[in-house]
Amino acid sequence: MIFEEKNIFKKDSITVEFFFKNVKERFNFTLLNEKPFGFEKVIREQSLNRPQFALTGFMDHFTESRIQVFGNTELKYLSLLDSNQRKESLEKIFERNIPCVILTESNQPFQEMIDLSQKYNIPLFGSTYPTTKLIYLIGDFLDDQFASRLSAHGSFVDVYGVGVLFVGRSGIGKSEVALDLVERGHRLVADDVVIFTKKGEGILIGSGTQLVQHFMEVRGIGLIDIRSIFGVRSIRYQKRLEVVIDLEIWDEDATYTRTGLDENLINICGVEIPQVKVPIVPGKNITVISEVIALNYLQKHYGEDAAKIFKERLDKKLQEKSSNNDRSIDYFEHDFE
Amino acid sequence: MIEKKVKIINQAGLHTRPAATIVKLAAKFKSEFFISKDGFNINGKSIIGVMTLAAEKGSELILTFDGEDELEASETIIGYFKRGFDEL
Repeated sequence: MIFEEKNIFKKDSITVEFFFKNVKERFNFTLLNEKPFGFEKVIREQSLNRPQFALTGFMDHFTESRIQVFGNTELKYLSLLDSNQRKESLEKIFERNIPCVILTESNQPFQEMIDLSQKYNIPLFGSTYPTTKLIYLIGDFLDDQFASRLSAHGSFVDVYGVGVLFVGRSGIGKSEVALDLVERGHRLVADDVVIFTKKGEGILIGSGTQLVQHFMEVRGIGLIDIRSIFGVRSIRYQKRLEVVIDLEIWDEDATYTRTGLDENLINICGVEIPQVKVPIVPGKNITVISEVIALNYLQKHYGEDAAKIFKERLDKKLQEKSSNNDRSIDYFEHDFE
Repeated sequence: MIEKKVKIINQAGLHTRPAATIVKLAAKFKSEFFISKDGFNINGKSIIGVMTLAAEKGSELILTFDGEDELEASETIIGYFKRGFDEL
């Protein structure tokens, strides 16, 4: 099976150094310490904490493994204290093993904060973003970092805006189908190795690896670069997975769906994705069939399920008991065209 | 060639599910398989064809099997008709 448990991996932690490097440009981060230190500390939690009550000395349920965010409220409260009280209040937080501290909305740190951060080896960052927005953005960034990832062997193509993953045994022609689709104006996301990341509940986003990007191996040619051959229109970097097409050699004993009423779902990382088994036989154009699968998915998505409509028509006819096999036209009435 | 008359005995008639089962059963055999109703003849391996019959309860169909495994094919498919498509 392609989607094995052992192919799922997940980060347990990231270092403060990695965190700072990635958010610096994105969220206008600056280091408020004169020199960097404590960058080896690790972040294990994707949630953030506003210390609020902890500043008043109420340390129950204090989540010390989280990044601590000081917004306007916290700093206003601290400004009402005198220097000694402020130091005492802050020390209760800084003496815990917190990963780092962030000040929002370009607020400047009190001298006590700078001293304590140095004393307890805790980096102090500032951002120009408002608190709620920053918490949302960093939460999303960390959510992505700590999300389950899965590597799959297949070709991932955007067909009419539908993310289609081709799977099947090696050499069955996944890359060739992807190439054919690109030739017809669809866009390649990744070939051979696709990394899927779980975003929120029920969404898998796939992309290629940094090394491979849009390179592809075609038997008999070797490695080719889709982007340089077909141009920027032929590729994209990420796409939501929506349909899995399982290519297999025609098996006489296997049963393939004939009506399409029985939707076959595959569970990947806890996300249910429709799976279509396509048997390969000579004379069958898999590319066109793939396009139709994508279009049929769109139809269903927009509320029109051909299989269901046909079933309803037949049921109605059976109920009427007027079953004569009429033509769709009653009478051709001298129309010989 | 084997030709047999069968009657639809289940309440719902030959609706989508049994139609799909019939074509799947028929596909397992090499023999050609036709169904005819009131003189309208269709290929029994085609899902659209079988559904087009719109055969309600009580209607009579003529099944034709032709090929090397016609006997097994006819037994399997006629058995399914006789069981009322497992809906009795």
